[in-house]
Amino acid sequence: MKKNSFSYTYLLGFLLVVLTGSAFATPVFNIEIRNHLFYPAELTIPVDTKVKLLINNTDTSAEEFESYELNREKVIPGKSTGVVFIGPLKKGVYPFFGEFFPKTAQGSIHVD
Amino acid sequence: MLINAVIIILREVLEASLILGVLLALSQHNQISKSWSLKALLLGGLAAVMYAANLAMISALHEGVGQEIVNAVLYVFIFTLILAIVYCLRDKQYLKLAAAAMFGCVVLAVLREGSEIIVYIHGFSTIPDLFTPVLVGSSIGAGIGLSIGVFVYYLIVSLPFIYGVISGFFVLVFIAGGMVSQAIQMLLQADLISSELPIWDTSQLVSEQSIVGQILFAMMGYEATPILLQVVLYTASILLTGFFAIGSIKRTQQGNLL
Amino acid sequence: MKSIRIYLLLALLATITLVSFLSVLQGYRSSTQKVDELFDQRLKNLANIIVHANHDTKPRQERMINTKPSVFFQIWSDNNVLLARSGNAPSTLAVDLQDTEQFHDINFNQYRWRTFVLKDNSLNRWVITAERIDLRYSLADTIVSAAIKPTVLAIPIAAIIIWFAIGFGLRPLKQLARQLNNKRADDLTPVVLKDTPEELSQLVTTTNDLLSRLNDAFIREQQFAADAAHELRTPISALKVQMHNLKQQANVQDAELTPLVDGIERMGHVVEQILSLYRNSPDQASKTFQAVNLYTLAQKILAEQYTQFEGKNQCVSLIGDKSCGVEGDEFALKTLLLNLINNAAKYSPDKSEIQVTVEQNKRHVCLMVEDSGPGVPKEDYERVLERFYRVDGDQHGSGEIGCGLGLAIVKHIVTVHDAKIILSQSELLGGLCVRVEFKGA
Repeated sequence: MKKNSFSYTYLLGFLLVVLTGSAFATPVFNIEIRNHLFYPAELTIPVDTKVKLLINNTDTSAEEFESYELNREKVIPGKSTGVVFIGPLKKGVYPFFGEFFPKTAQGSIHVD
Repeated sequence: MLINAVIIILREVLEASLILGVLLALSQHNQISKSWSLKALLLGGLAAVMYAANLAMISALHEGVGQEIVNAVLYVFIFTLILAIVYCLRDKQYLKLAAAAMFGCVVLAVLREGSEIIVYIHGFSTIPDLFTPVLVGSSIGAGIGLSIGVFVYYLIVSLPFIYGVISGFFVLVFIAGGMVSQAIQMLLQADLISSELPIWDTSQLVSEQSIVGQILFAMMGYEATPILLQVVLYTASILLTGFFAIGSIKRTQQGNLL
Repeated sequence: MKSIRIYLLLALLATITLVSFLSVLQGYRSSTQKVDELFDQRLKNLANIIVHANHDTKPRQERMINTKPSVFFQIWSDNNVLLARSGNAPSTLAVDLQDTEQFHDINFNQYRWRTFVLKDNSLNRWVITAERIDLRYSLADTIVSAAIKPTVLAIPIAAIIIWFAIGFGLRPLKQLARQLNNKRADDLTPVVLKDTPEELSQLVTTTNDLLSRLNDAFIREQQFAADAAHELRTPISALKVQMHNLKQQANVQDAELTPLVDGIERMGHVVEQILSLYRNSPDQASKTFQAVNLYTLAQKILAEQYTQFEGKNQCVSLIGDKSCGVEGDEFALKTLLLNLINNAAKYSPDKSEIQVTVEQNKRHVCLMVEDSGPGVPKEDYERVLERFYRVDGDQHGSGEIGCGLGLAIVKHIVTVHDAKIILSQSELLGGLCVRVEFKGA
């Protein structure tokens, strides 16, 4: 039953992805974490579009990409790349930060 | 750094210690041997270390969303086990099953929360200037989280049997709902469920960032901007667990367990 | 709530942890806020000093001004021309020049900087000062966490102290429990605590009161039984004589008298057993203890009872260590052996085997009486040691006269000698095996 409920959601999600037809059209944006800073710190993405963020952590220590506004939270181990999907979003500024180094790792997504 | 460590560790420890405290108290009320707890903590801790050590590999699975999938599976498992516990406590003959489910539940909770703590603290071990503040902050967060767990345990244990069971179930029902909500959140993030616009935004009322928001998150999976599917499944899981809980309480009141 | 000690430890520790950590956090927040203000004030001051120390209105890029790597400054004219900057400052505008006296956070040269913008109205130019944020917070954190660390380290120390303090506080309770636990079943002397604490005084008083009442009742019972048995002895003897005389008369059938004879026999037996049960009261017993050789004693009893075994064609053997001795009361030990051997003989059928073993191991001196009889069901082991209990009650299969006091007396003597009695099935002979373990001689 446990397995089933999971694979069911999985299947449902997959179908939705396929049906919306956005699986291959998703634009990709790169963000790099270096010395506990985000590059770029300000990223502009299109309005009402789902985008795929590739977050490359070049530090040796882990970082957690977190945004309350975007509802995202993902641990990115040191020297690795994490994938986070965001959107579709309305126009506005959505701040994000690195939860492990919040004083320096600050950034925002600008939706235009 | 220090306050940040406090909040991160508190959030993780509070969730695990709340589950552990409630389950231990329910064991005490139902005269289940509590020997499962120590084994669960040890096994969970060991699993957390292994998970943390292989996090980079797990993250890279399935086109970079392996972490989300594993977490979602863990959340669904914990939800199922809580459901099993609430159901099994209705009849003496199921108590062994309940103990096994409690064991599994704590193992998974410790695995999930513990791995996050290990990844976090380990990241600072190479930064000597920040390591001490992070350790101090982590100790404070862990101390507060564990203390709340201790109080929850003794509070439920000190209640008369039926009220103890009711309050224990009450906490479990909301934790179960939180698990389902977080599982959805993970699937959303991995794009396995298509994202939609949130159906409401209560971040002005209670920000997820605030201390109250963090505690609400640990206790009932508070989400300021949920999507429709999340709200529906959250409500459904709470109703289902609540239904089982009421059934168990009724059976218990008829004297099946007394 | 299984252990008061653990409960108190956890509850106290959780309270201390919560209260002290939350107050430490509050302190941390206000002190970091203060530190923040302090650092911001420094940036402001720096900008003001630059405004007053430097009066450039034309670009002078050739002259770099060195500052510490953790701070930089820029001076811009109102029309966005760089007038001067420190060597580590960017050559472009660090922040937008919009409002004066504003703080901004920016990323530059791999670090995050806190910047301050000041409009110099007299020379119509802008001064930007900046400081590295990471250094600022790591400095603040190092200072504050050094202050907080002792509080965190104090918790485990507090845990150890609380643990021992509670243990010390609970000592009278432990002492009371130990005294009650060590009490022999028949020891009804009062409990004595050194410096009885207030919380326990009621418990101790009530317990002692109960013990003394129990003791009175026990003595009354003992005296009653002993007196009654003693008083019954004479009429029973008289009855026996009368019965003997009656038998002599020719007109009475022997068969009619047999049940009567048996009845009187049984009554006499009960009275004798009751008397021997109360002869060995535990209080005075140990004072009169002497060395008794169990092997010799057993030998003597077997010789005395020989006719009984012969009558049923039973085979009796005695094996073991000839020098085996215990400290005890000879008469009581004789009664014990006699009862055990008689029981074995009485309840085993004709041509059965009985073995008495006396042996010594490292810790105990053991006396074992085994038989090849039907034995006793396991569930009755406890009960056969009780007074007036017989397996199957009066429908006892052997048809022997008995009152169910034999093993109760054995148990009583065992207790008096601080020994242990264990019933089991004999591995050797298949019947009952009674094993008495005396503490090492």
